Amino acid sequence: MDSATSKLISRLYWLVTFCLLVAVTAMMAFWTPREETMGDVQKIFYIHLPTAISTFIVCFVVFVASVMYLLQRRSWWDDVAFAAAKVAVLLASIVLLTGMIWGRSAWGHWWTWSPRLTFSLILWLLYVVYLMIRPSIESSQRRALICAVYGVIAFMDVPLVYLSVKLLPDIHPSSIQLSPDMRTTLLAWFVPMGMLVIGLVVTSFKINRLHRAISEPVEEEVDEPRLVPAGGNA
Amino acid sequence: MNRAIRHIALLTLKDLRIEARGRQTIGLVVVLAILIVVVLALGLGPGSGSSGLSATAILWVAYLFGGVLIFEKTMAVERYDDALAGLLLAPIDRGSIFAAKLLANLVLMFTLALVVTPVGIMFFQFDLSVAPGGFALVMAISMIGYAAIGTLFAALTSSTRLAGGLLAMLVFPVTLPVVLVSTRVLANLFEHNVSIGGSGLAILIAFDVMFLTASWLVFEIVLEA
Amino acid sequence: MTGRLTIQDYETRGAGRSLRLATSAETAASSPAVRAMSVHKVLDDRPILRDLTFDLPAGCYATLLGANGAGKTTLLRLLSTLTTPTRGELEIFGRSARKQGAMIRAGIGLIGHQSMVYRDLSALENLIFFGRLHDLPEPSVRAMDLLEFVGLVDRAHDPVKTFSRGMVQRVSIARALLHEPRLLLADEPFAGLDAPSADTVERLMAQLNEQGMAVILANHDVRQSLRLAERVIVLRKGRLVLDVPSGDVSAEDVLAEIDKR
Repeated sequence: MDSATSKLISRLYWLVTFCLLVAVTAMMAFWTPREETMGDVQKIFYIHLPTAISTFIVCFVVFVASVMYLLQRRSWWDDVAFAAAKVAVLLASIVLLTGMIWGRSAWGHWWTWSPRLTFSLILWLLYVVYLMIRPSIESSQRRALICAVYGVIAFMDVPLVYLSVKLLPDIHPSSIQLSPDMRTTLLAWFVPMGMLVIGLVVTSFKINRLHRAISEPVEEEVDEPRLVPAGGNA
Repeated sequence: MNRAIRHIALLTLKDLRIEARGRQTIGLVVVLAILIVVVLALGLGPGSGSSGLSATAILWVAYLFGGVLIFEKTMAVERYDDALAGLLLAPIDRGSIFAAKLLANLVLMFTLALVVTPVGIMFFQFDLSVAPGGFALVMAISMIGYAAIGTLFAALTSSTRLAGGLLAMLVFPVTLPVVLVSTRVLANLFEHNVSIGGSGLAILIAFDVMFLTASWLVFEIVLEA
Repeated sequence: MTGRLTIQDYETRGAGRSLRLATSAETAASSPAVRAMSVHKVLDDRPILRDLTFDLPAGCYATLLGANGAGKTTLLRLLSTLTTPTRGELEIFGRSARKQGAMIRAGIGLIGHQSMVYRDLSALENLIFFGRLHDLPEPSVRAMDLLEFVGLVDRAHDPVKTFSRGMVQRVSIARALLHEPRLLLADEPFAGLDAPSADTVERLMAQLNEQGMAVILANHDVRQSLRLAERVIVLRKGRLVLDVPSGDVSAEDVLAEIDKR
């Protein structure tokens, strides 16, 4: 595939994603019925839940890429993990913010130490740390290794965090009664959200690859053509 | 098996012997931990720590920071003059190196707790007499998981600059569930007389088992870097 | 660990016995000390070593030359099984470096850039500790024998941190020899040593080689290397560019080969 076609495909992808996002937003705003007790604020739920689920999936991508890096030691996997971690933090931030907005209108406080808010906060912290430690490690190999181990440990920590926050007193709605129209809107939101997440991870990955190519050029030799291809281990 | 145990004992005793000779780590760590307790006691004001929850939380802050320093120091011993390469060149199982380092770290952490806990109890008039055994058990189980994570990440970060801040950054967020659960369990124990057995303790044990296994598996990969 | 071993103890327990350094009977076995077959090492997508193929017979004294970053240290780390080849096969005394790392480690000694001993322990404590890790039957006797060999018996109980650079290097050599290796790897062992210390280390290594131990010496000083070793291997940008008996080349040729672009 030449670069012009791939550029076209990527533009098309983003255009479709954007249109779908506009469509589901409109659907949520104008078509979906208002919930009685919460009012319009309840509609934030249609963003909140798909984002939360995407966060777990992206964290899982970080985990898989980290394991693969530990097994193969190829920078490709480190770039995948880093890309996914960036998106994970973005999504976790959205989950945290939408959760706080919900909490503000439901309970009157921006912050309560309810199990799920606490869970979102710890999850957010876990992956923000992943991003923050990267620049402070100079050697790219060391950085990749530390982050890979951390990516594995952090993901293993997620279920434990989930279990432990349950020991806190709960006021979060555990299940919400949705009308069929509401359910349709919720399901519709998953489509652009999924596309957005995949698009962001792929784009971020490409940027990482470019960045690496610029900062650490693989030494090419003019006189001797027998260069070992980058990452070409059997 | 016997051979592995002999190697682990040999390696652990070596760490403790070096520590006994210099007493660089434990002195530093104990003073730091007492300092933390004093700062919190003054910051929170008198009488604030009398509930089980805040007393254990304050002790945890002291243990966490003291622990990071311990992990860092015991690993620095291996990095000076690359003594670690000497260990890696010996025909021993690399898991033994992890196990020994973990044991040495735990001995130092328990020593720290032995000194700092009475100090904390004294400052906060925290009555431990209801269930001293339960307190010790919960804290000990929690520290094992914490030390497993700490030992692993200390091996990873010890060769980088900024190792100190970095190690704390890596270890603290992962350890949050341990702190959360153990403070909850102990608060229930001291305030409502709820026994420590139950889901809380199960989470702590699960944490230990998961991270002991993971650290042990990953440690060899980490060392071959 | 054990009770303190005094020099008097040591003397009554058999000083002056001939020091066993390498098991010469085994050395005579047919398998070469090193056999590298198209070995590649890629670190973080960067080729560090490319397509190395060479054999070194048991008991030979080879020197490894090359500019900084040519891959000398990485090759020594591969030979000491601290790391494994990305591709290709590496055999040390007929054993695969990939699969039989622990067995190979029992037969090699490494002298690195750093001493690989604990500065807070005494020379003797260090040697006894490492001797036990190697499961030696009598680590303290062996440790004293080696301290005598490197001429540090009178400082046996002093912590290594009080030693001069040259003395530390001698402890490091003693540590590398504890388990009677058949192959000694030395990564720039003369770096940072004053002339007398460097001379001592040079003589120790020659003596070991005479007793049948294969020696691979990574070095900067081309003339010194040519004088010491019987075989010269030159690396440039991770490739093997010269592998000849040292009598067949002049220092100028080797230098030119190292510098060639």
